[in-house]
Amino acid sequence: MKFLMCTDGDENAESAIRFGGKLAKEMNADVSIVHIRPPVSASSRPQLITARKKLGEWNFNIPGIEYLIRAKEILAEIGLTRSGPEKEAKVSQAFRANVDGATELHLIGEHGGLVRLRLREGHPVEEILEEADLGDYDLIIVGSSGHQGISRYFVGSTALRVADLAACSVLIAKNIREDDNFLLCTDGSRLSERAEILGAEMAQVLGAKVTVLSVAEAEEDRESAEKLTRRAGMILAQMGVEAQQKVRMGHPSDEIIDEAKDHDIVVMGSSGSSAVRKFFIGSTPLKVIEYGECPVLIVREKRGKIALQSMN
Amino acid sequence: MPFISELIKRRWIFIGFALGAVLLSIPIPEGLTPIGMRALTLVIVSFLFFITEPIPLPGIALFIAVFEVLLGLAKPTAVAQSFMSDSIFFIMGSLMIAAALVKQNLDKRIALAIVRVTGPKIQWVILGLVTVSALLSSFIGEHTVAAMMLPVGVALIHFSSRDGRQVRNLSIAILLSIAYGAMVAGIGTPSGGTRNAIMLEYWKELYGIEMTYFSWIIHAYPIIFLEIPCIAFVLYRTFKPEIKDLSRAIAGLRKSVRESGQMTKEDWLTVAIFMLTVLMWMTISDTIGLGITALMGVLLFLVAGLVRWEDLNNSVNWGIILVYGGAISLGVVMKRTGVAEWISLSFLRWMEPIGIHEGLPLLAAISLMTLFLAAFVSSGATVGLLGPITLNIASLSGTSLIAAGFVTVISSSFSFLTPVASPACNIIYGSGYLKRSNFLKAGWKLLLVSFISILLMSLSYWRLLKL
Repeated sequence: MKFLMCTDGDENAESAIRFGGKLAKEMNADVSIVHIRPPVSASSRPQLITARKKLGEWNFNIPGIEYLIRAKEILAEIGLTRSGPEKEAKVSQAFRANVDGATELHLIGEHGGLVRLRLREGHPVEEILEEADLGDYDLIIVGSSGHQGISRYFVGSTALRVADLAACSVLIAKNIREDDNFLLCTDGSRLSERAEILGAEMAQVLGAKVTVLSVAEAEEDRESAEKLTRRAGMILAQMGVEAQQKVRMGHPSDEIIDEAKDHDIVVMGSSGSSAVRKFFIGSTPLKVIEYGECPVLIVREKRGKIALQSMN
Repeated sequence: MPFISELIKRRWIFIGFALGAVLLSIPIPEGLTPIGMRALTLVIVSFLFFITEPIPLPGIALFIAVFEVLLGLAKPTAVAQSFMSDSIFFIMGSLMIAAALVKQNLDKRIALAIVRVTGPKIQWVILGLVTVSALLSSFIGEHTVAAMMLPVGVALIHFSSRDGRQVRNLSIAILLSIAYGAMVAGIGTPSGGTRNAIMLEYWKELYGIEMTYFSWIIHAYPIIFLEIPCIAFVLYRTFKPEIKDLSRAIAGLRKSVRESGQMTKEDWLTVAIFMLTVLMWMTISDTIGLGITALMGVLLFLVAGLVRWEDLNNSVNWGIILVYGGAISLGVVMKRTGVAEWISLSFLRWMEPIGIHEGLPLLAAISLMTLFLAAFVSSGATVGLLGPITLNIASLSGTSLIAAGFVTVISSSFSFLTPVASPACNIIYGSGYLKRSNFLKAGWKLLLVSFISILLMSLSYWRLLKL
């Protein structure tokens, strides 16, 4: 597994990193942390590079690095990395410029996993997606400040758009809590099956409790919904995770959001529905991310990987 | 989907071309020739592109060159010539000289020299930073000064407190004093900013007015002296730094500078060659041209081995030279096809009933127009597009061409409100210490002060010079 965690230096991002780091430690995943700096207009780029060189001559970190260093400290705190404190003083000098379009620093993780700190520049959503593409990641973890009101449309939109557009699974971490109570949503699609497997894997390593939820939109769907939860329960049982089963009636996103109040993480599959459908109906996972109060893990099949396998 | 999102990203290209097609097909307004209408279309579309930047700026310059020929506005050779003139040589040479200067470790000496003069009191340090940034930037341009002075500012902040959160206001005041100081002073001498070279080119090419390096300084420099204390005062009062005494920071700075040793022979030689170039600009450039003089300076740097070609190649923004070429070329076409005249006449027809058609009110209107535009478009493009129009308005209304030109150039450098419009603010903002709102908080006061300063200049000083 390869995780990509994004930080913008605020508290939500830090708790997202703490959570992702714990998960990565348990799942033996490679971790990259990326920070995206706002773009500098191309016309002053050569001078900006000069300014950074000058900052280096004065032994100052280039801007943005401090967030990555903070993230690195968090990873060390939870025991993911084992870089010694004696090397940290000169950490900025160890950053190499322009590796796949980013400034980066390598660290070796506790279990031999690789931790990379990367600094990119540009529009946050585009850069995160490009980074995820380049590094062939399985999971992107983005913090989202659970702002209410008008600011949600500006602040939260990065996480939302990443969740919408990414080709791999995305974990939107907001209001992270200490407990790990999983809510696994299934609708019988192929992707929700993937979600069940990945969710079960995570629940297993974290030792979490799991509830399987299926939402029936009408009374006549109740039976098939129950069948779905039973099947999901069986998949989980095979992996050694015990799960409660639950069926609710009503509109899927509303019911999931409501049920999620008693849980700490929502796991659901998403096929990245067509733009037309999204426009008129809206996609259930995106609604849960936008209006829900807890972290959401959107599970996707990685398109790139599948293409490769079928070619072989 | 990626295809569609690429298309959406470039939507302004399609909008621009659609707008162009519409403009070319509607009836030609009164007073404009068919060729003028085509030129006006190109101006409007390029202007839209300059604001929205659907392709990189140098690409817009290429767009201008291509369409000047395709629309039959100029012959290919004439377009090429308008892209590369002595003014463009001058822009190129100045950028290369700045690159050679910044390569040496002069920033540390400058930092030490500033605090040695100002002492540890924060208000004097701010004044010192504004003054030095302004003086430097008036000769070598705001980009370079911002790049050179940013580490100085960061050093002062860093050495005054370990915890950045405790000196937030101090950081803002120090960094903004560098950004604003460098920004406003770019108009001090022709070599201070590329837009100055554009105005020189317009004066010469369109109206045959020769303005020397020295007489530019005489006309424009006083406004810098007006601005410097205002900026320092406004920044100090607006942000009220947490620490009033910077002794600790200065001690740290001193230690850091001592580590890098004495001024070397190369450092001295660099300063000497630069001084010589400025001297040549002031004296012999009237006969051999500013551009050639600048290239002489660059040659000296190369001969002395103070700068490698790779350094110049990497630190000079070659694309921007193309952008200014494009802006000048478009300006020349605007004048020649009568577009500038047509816009000026319409402007005057609108403005005459409310009394803004000559003298001071007209200059105030020009200044406001430029200030407004400069908030959206880079100062070079502002002067490039507005220059021919403001000069034409001035010549139609009998106002001094030189005063109108200076008002345009000076106003274009007052983009206090946002970090994006001026290169110096952009570089300082890129350091990550500032928020957008910081610029707004002090910027509106300074904008007001600067607007009044321009009017004062036109009322008193320029009248004395008999413009």
